[in-house]
Amino acid sequence: MFSNYLTIAWRQIVKNKLYAGINVLGLVVGLLVFVFGVLLVNYERGHDQQWSNAERIYAAGTLFGPSAGVGFSQSSGIYSAFAPFIDAEIDGVEQIARTVGGEFLISHSDDHFYEFIRFADPSLLQIFDFTYLAGDARALEDPSGVLITREIAEKFFGSIDVLGEVLTLDHDVSVHVAAVIENLPADVHFVSMIVGAQTFGIVAPLQALNAARDYDLAGNFNNLSSSDLTYMLVAPGKEQAWLQQSLDGVFERHYPAEQRDFIAGLKVRPLGETNTLLWDSTGLPVLDTIRLLAFLVLIVAIVNYTNLATAQSLGRAREIGLRKTMGASRGQLVTQFLVESVVIAAIAMLIAIALLEVAIPIYNGITGRALEMNYALTMPWLVLATGAVGVVAGAYPALLITRATPIDALRDGGKRGAHGARFRSAMLVLQFSISIFMLAMVMVTYFQNKKIEQASDIYPRSEIITMKRLGVESIQLRMATLRNELLNIPGVEAVTYSSMVPYLQSNSSFDVTPQAGDESQSFLLKQLIVDEHFLSTYDTPLLAGRGLSREIASDSIREGVLAANVVINELAVARLGYPSAEAALNQVFYDITKQRDSRAYTIVGVFPDQNFQGFHNEIKATALLMLPQGEVSSGPDAYSFGSIRVTAGTGMADTLAQVERVWDSLIEDYPLQSEFLDETFGQTFVFYSAMTFVLGVFAFVALSLSLVGLFGLAAFMASSRTREIGIRKVMGANTGQIVRLLVWQFSRPVIWALLFSLPLAYFAANTYLSFFADRIDASAGIVAFSGLLGVFVSWSIVAMHAIKVASANPIQALRYE
Amino acid sequence: MLKLQNLSKFYRTDEVETVALDQVNVDIAAGEFVAIMGPSGCGKSTLLNIIGMLDSPSAGHYLFKDEDVSDYNESQLAEIRKRNIGFIFQSFNLIDELSVAENIELALLYHDIPAGERRDRVAQVMNSVGIAHRAKHKPGQLSGGQQQRVAVARAIVGNQSLILADEPTGNLDSAHGQEVMEMLQGLNDDGATIVMVTHSPSHADYARRTINLFDGQVVTESLRAVV
Repeated sequence: MFSNYLTIAWRQIVKNKLYAGINVLGLVVGLLVFVFGVLLVNYERGHDQQWSNAERIYAAGTLFGPSAGVGFSQSSGIYSAFAPFIDAEIDGVEQIARTVGGEFLISHSDDHFYEFIRFADPSLLQIFDFTYLAGDARALEDPSGVLITREIAEKFFGSIDVLGEVLTLDHDVSVHVAAVIENLPADVHFVSMIVGAQTFGIVAPLQALNAARDYDLAGNFNNLSSSDLTYMLVAPGKEQAWLQQSLDGVFERHYPAEQRDFIAGLKVRPLGETNTLLWDSTGLPVLDTIRLLAFLVLIVAIVNYTNLATAQSLGRAREIGLRKTMGASRGQLVTQFLVESVVIAAIAMLIAIALLEVAIPIYNGITGRALEMNYALTMPWLVLATGAVGVVAGAYPALLITRATPIDALRDGGKRGAHGARFRSAMLVLQFSISIFMLAMVMVTYFQNKKIEQASDIYPRSEIITMKRLGVESIQLRMATLRNELLNIPGVEAVTYSSMVPYLQSNSSFDVTPQAGDESQSFLLKQLIVDEHFLSTYDTPLLAGRGLSREIASDSIREGVLAANVVINELAVARLGYPSAEAALNQVFYDITKQRDSRAYTIVGVFPDQNFQGFHNEIKATALLMLPQGEVSSGPDAYSFGSIRVTAGTGMADTLAQVERVWDSLIEDYPLQSEFLDETFGQTFVFYSAMTFVLGVFAFVALSLSLVGLFGLAAFMASSRTREIGIRKVMGANTGQIVRLLVWQFSRPVIWALLFSLPLAYFAANTYLSFFADRIDASAGIVAFSGLLGVFVSWSIVAMHAIKVASANPIQALRYE
Repeated sequence: MLKLQNLSKFYRTDEVETVALDQVNVDIAAGEFVAIMGPSGCGKSTLLNIIGMLDSPSAGHYLFKDEDVSDYNESQLAEIRKRNIGFIFQSFNLIDELSVAENIELALLYHDIPAGERRDRVAQVMNSVGIAHRAKHKPGQLSGGQQQRVAVARAIVGNQSLILADEPTGNLDSAHGQEVMEMLQGLNDDGATIVMVTHSPSHADYARRTINLFDGQVVTESLRAVV
């Protein structure tokens, strides 16, 4: 019996190649997207399971307060001062380890490489059980001991038998190898987290960072970095809620009350969630959205199948009637139809899996992930999904077609289109709601990206080469010479040094007040350390006053001198309470700091508001400050970046080669770290464009499926209305009137779909846009436009059929009724 | 009213050429009631379709009200058709999704007639064929005889001067068939020209003239004496 079902199923597929092809294709795409989406999300959420303590490890993060204005709601790091308090005050926390990342020039004899180093408390090795090839978990207890991976060992020493070998950080601090571990797999957060270094090669004790860069070992409430995580190992039996409560207590007891509108609290997170921190901290449910979209695409594909199968199965009414006459029970017939749809689903699943096997390595290659189809684990799930898709998709047509009595089924030729018409319309509404919703979202994200890109054009980003990591002594001492030599390169127009370059997603600010000592009026002012060439290099005009100058001693911030001149932006003018740029000139404001007495800043110039960080960030009140010439500076507020402005039209790559030559001749001990400003922009922009791309793929797939479904359905409906069309034509209807009739039939579901999808899309678009400070204002128009586009495309599809059907000779339709 | 001169119709398939009508010459005057008879496949329906401008002749001329329409294109034919010709089919050809009144209205829908006037005329014609009490029903809820009365109403609601009936009684029992024939008789008495294809000699007797077709040719024409 069952093999008979299979035979019939197969013959039906072969007989109706077009329908079967469309059906299989639709399900293949639906299943492909769905399975891949689920794999991807499970992979991202299934990190860090290899640690034996995985269930007991937590990371502490920070919740930003209302006045933080950083665009994110959370940071994945905490202030370094918290860790000692947690360690001392919470008994159930067995171990706590701070980590601080930093890039250093690492040297071994004549080999120099920039490497990312994680500096950590020694307890890090008690929390995470690495696989030791040499040495052990006590490696970091020695203040100059480091732990390295096999990869680093082989890179520097060509061997893993390297205990005791010496590495030098920035030509300054020497450390020795105290442990070598196996390379980490791709699915631990140390290497996969999008925030941070995405590399795990060298771990050194915090004492080494203290030696190299005066890191404050006691901890403080100054620097908060989202890539510097603090890990806790809790005692067995302790829950996340308990830990959260304990940390809330630490926060209440120790965090300065006056800073609480900036930082609102601490947030405990299980280790497993660390990998997806970035998505959580943007407040955009990216992974859930991917899963939802993948599921919606599958729904669209299933609906497609159901619709086409229903339409097609009505043509088999006669077969059903015959089978019933021959004694088939309804149950048997339903089974027969379900077997057919499950067979189709299985074929689709096999093709989808084959395609996945091709797609996954490509995806892994691009993203550095290690997704795989683990058949041993996923097989039951895949089989279940196939069965479910087959049954869900086939159930309605099976029940509908087997409902009729045998006589009705045999007789029923002319009215077959009428059956299930309402259901098919409802399915069309569902499909198009999903498709139009996705289309609208793609367009909104696309135009928002365009806006980000255009807004970034305030800086001549295609004409600038940046030099990074200048904040070490031997470079600082040669900055002036370097600048002069660089200016000799043909095509180099200007060179400027600053603490930051545009588009970098980090921030340095200080507390200021218009009245000396009045903390009630204080606000955070973003500070940018620049030199006298910065404004001209970056095409930034002055609205009032003058730029900073080397000629005037008080234009530079000098240690021990409590007065300096600054240039601020319009927003800062407004925050300080001055009505205009001119009015602010020569006015004074003060900083608030515990380290020294407050300094007075005199405003000598005002520049326009520009979004220096770009992207989702809001424009911040900003001050430009200058350091004295020749002073060696390091850290976040030093001249650690150089920007070289190249005349438009000059070959950027050629210029870069010459810059490198100049650099190498002047600075032998540090290799040049350069980047085109365009690349700096691209590194962050890629997240936004990738999001649009992914959404675009989903929307394209969903819309294509819907249109294919519509195409098939229109063909079917048109053919089932041939007789009616014939009658209307005999009555004098012309082709245009018939086309309008048919198009209208399909417009109604599409218009219903608009009613559902457009408000939803509008709501979702606004949620997405609220992440951006500078957002497109036409979201309603864009959403409406995508609706129109959906209607227009579906009209075209239906009209193609309608025209063909409507121009047929009516007598063909009526002759043999 | 209409003249067919040496009118032929061939159907070509890949290998065979079938002659459906062969050199047919027919004259039908206004006000006539003509029956076309003949065995299955003799070309009756083809002839009727050509007269009804649903199909075009392969050769020869078709003069409708002295206008040669043989070479007209589809939209020109449609224009003449909807102003002059009403159709009654064996299988009624009512649209199942529309009510009785809407089915009748269909014949006026494409004539640029205001909705109010359309309603009046539909109501009037439903009364005259005795179907007014079923105005809101769907065709599926009516008997065959009632359905054919709806079809007759649809054929005449536009004041068409030529009514073409293709076996109008073929799907009806004898009592209902009789009823429909009397209705056609009445229309003819009121001045409509009627051309009817039928298998039934007794129904052909309602006509004043009978054309017998065989293998696409007119074999005999007989006139019935007017009583």
